Amino acid sequence: MSSVSQMALLFVGAALINNILLTRFVGLCPFFGVSNNMETAVGMSLSVVFVMVMASTATWLTWEFILDPLGVGEFLYIPAFILIIASLVQFVEMYLRKASPVLYRAMGIFLPLITTNCAVLATATESAKPGFFKMNIALGASLSLGEALIYTLGVSVGFGFALITFSALRERLDLAPVSRLMKGTPIAFITAGLLSLAYVGMSGWFGL
Amino acid sequence: MSEWVRVFRQGLSIENPLTVLMIGLCATLAVSTQFQNALFMGLAVIFVMMMSNVLVSAFRNFIPSQVRIPIFIVVIASFVTIVDLVMKAYVPSVYSVLGIWIPLIVVNCAILGRAEAFAYQNKVGLSIADGLGMGMGYMMVIVLLAFIRELLGTGKIVWFESTLLSLPAGYAPPSLLLLFPGAFLVFAFMIVGARWINERFEARKEGPACRV
Repeated sequence: MSSVSQMALLFVGAALINNILLTRFVGLCPFFGVSNNMETAVGMSLSVVFVMVMASTATWLTWEFILDPLGVGEFLYIPAFILIIASLVQFVEMYLRKASPVLYRAMGIFLPLITTNCAVLATATESAKPGFFKMNIALGASLSLGEALIYTLGVSVGFGFALITFSALRERLDLAPVSRLMKGTPIAFITAGLLSLAYVGMSGWFGL
Repeated sequence: MSEWVRVFRQGLSIENPLTVLMIGLCATLAVSTQFQNALFMGLAVIFVMMMSNVLVSAFRNFIPSQVRIPIFIVVIASFVTIVDLVMKAYVPSVYSVLGIWIPLIVVNCAILGRAEAFAYQNKVGLSIADGLGMGMGYMMVIVLLAFIRELLGTGKIVWFESTLLSLPAGYAPPSLLLLFPGAFLVFAFMIVGARWINERFEARKEGPACRV
């Protein structure tokens, strides 16, 4: 599986058809936590794209060259992946603070939050360890590094897209008259439900 | 003993991690399509939460506070690995549905939150109560959500291929409840219900109260 059309399919499948937030519920904490205003939503989305791509690369390499050859992948993948992600994020934060104050200002505060974001661990695990996600199984037993990167990019772009859409909706929602018990989180959930209804229409496209 | 019961009950009702604190949502919504899967997910969370609480509080005097978060994560990850392997071996049919959600228990904010907020400061006995209470509170919500979604969405409750309970014939199940939006909608109404109950309790305790 290496042709351009299949890469495009992988990207679209990860970003829209199997949108990580609205059709798989992975990473909902930031979805409700930082969607209050547009600026933080954009910052969060950028940081997620950045961190996810690096985390997937790191876990893919670890699985391929350390865990799988040694035969300990089955037992150690959970602690190994979460520690790799946590330390990677820490290093990136230190490096950014030193090297690029502009970037640091844009995503600095989100980086520690992202460490325990399920979306990052889920994507890193799915792209590194084969057999977790039906879409990837349908496309081939295990992903190559290039495919893993495209998949991760698709997932993170889908994440950002859904987050930014939702925060735009929520900014309008603050002005709407909502009954007392429904105000705040419940109405946000109902909005999210209606938004995810739109994604239901896409499920099953191209057999993904 | 009464202290133990108080801590245990806190998890069940007032400080319930899901409906009040809103943490650890992702897995709840995703695995609540089936009663049976939700039950296993709840059991897994109870086990991990209780065991990590015990270990963290037993070693709380030896864990330096600068590196406590990585240590908590490793402890939790080890217990999640145990759950992962046990479930894969004994209930493969459930494991294949839960899939990625088992490793994702590691990053369930509720568990890390309890290790940090409670177990790191309290004795082992109380930490067991807290882990058990919070875990049961979590399981209650997730099982209730799955029960509503499965019963109304398919018209029956299935437990390992045998039907436990079914609605009368002629009921046309709205499959929307089983799809992704259903989880959001049902959960929204569950929060409203929990808020309403909490409000009633507080009103009874302190006279008419105004909550935001």
